[in-house]
Amino acid sequence: MATKCSVRRFLEWYSMLLRLYPQPFRERFGEGMEQTFHDLCREHGSGGRRLFALALWVFCETLVGIVKEHAMQISQMGKTALRVALGALAALMVPLVASQVVEGWNWPPGAFLRVYVLFFLTGMVFALVSRRMGVWQYKAGVGVALGAGFALGWSNMVHVADTGNLANLWYYSVLVVGAAGALLARLKAPGLARTLFVMAALLALISVLVPSGAPPDVARRMAIGHGVYVGLFIAAGFLFRRAALTEPKRGLGH
Amino acid sequence: MAQAPLTPAVLHILLALSTGERHGYGIMKQVQADSQGRMMMGPGTLYGSLARMMAAGLIRESGKRVDPEMDDERRIYYELTSAGRAALEAELQRYRAVVTVAEGRLAHGH
Repeated sequence: MATKCSVRRFLEWYSMLLRLYPQPFRERFGEGMEQTFHDLCREHGSGGRRLFALALWVFCETLVGIVKEHAMQISQMGKTALRVALGALAALMVPLVASQVVEGWNWPPGAFLRVYVLFFLTGMVFALVSRRMGVWQYKAGVGVALGAGFALGWSNMVHVADTGNLANLWYYSVLVVGAAGALLARLKAPGLARTLFVMAALLALISVLVPSGAPPDVARRMAIGHGVYVGLFIAAGFLFRRAALTEPKRGLGH
Repeated sequence: MAQAPLTPAVLHILLALSTGERHGYGIMKQVQADSQGRMMMGPGTLYGSLARMMAAGLIRESGKRVDPEMDDERRIYYELTSAGRAALEAELQRYRAVVTVAEGRLAHGH
């Protein structure tokens, strides 16, 4: 009886210790580690001192594992940041070269810096979010959603700067809803799918209700552009929905 | 390019899985038996190695089910991939080559 209580107590402590692992590792292996520790306890559970020695050894060994996993994650993060920084630099070449050849394109150096920071942040968000799930549908969904969101924010910023029509700031509410939805969904595929569908509906609603103030031919082109964005958000939503259907199959019994 | 030598933990896990799929505790017990009790692998080392081996494509999860010889808890089983089997064979070949060289040297008394 006393041994059973000790095992239960050690299991509770071990479960708390496992919370120190990086989240992706814990989600994938935490349950298996708890089961393995439980099996070891049962095997050594005949004597109180043996059980204590085993628990002490496993706790120390697991603590070393936790430090190792965090160190690997930090080193991986550094490599990812370097890759994204180089990618953002390559992307910056587009406006940099365009400013040399396109007449009237004369950004101050600060604008290039801001654009570089935007490219870098978008790339980092993609790199960090897309690794939360191994399936390609999730990664593609993150890519499409971020790409469309970035393009929508960018084109809207340019449009507001050109026309001075502040009503267009409403379009940013789509991005705000997207960010809030992603946080509420804790980046899980089913919640992200719903968020993307809401973003598509909201964008469609805003493009119908908010007057663009543009001449008819420009307004027609804008409507086509909005249609493309709505389509991209819906496509990303379906990709997340597919990812949500795929994920539960991993690791299920035969 | 020659493959880098495997760590003792990875080699023992590959060896443990070479005869069939096993869950975490099953791997641990098999490693202990294969090494005649000299290799004690705790959950931290075992699952850290499993994570890296899965990322390298050496092993994969083969399913989640109850082990009839244990309790009624469902456990995740792991199995070798063809890349894992090839890595194990390459490592054993490397060991054989080292043993051949060592035996040749010792036979000549150097």
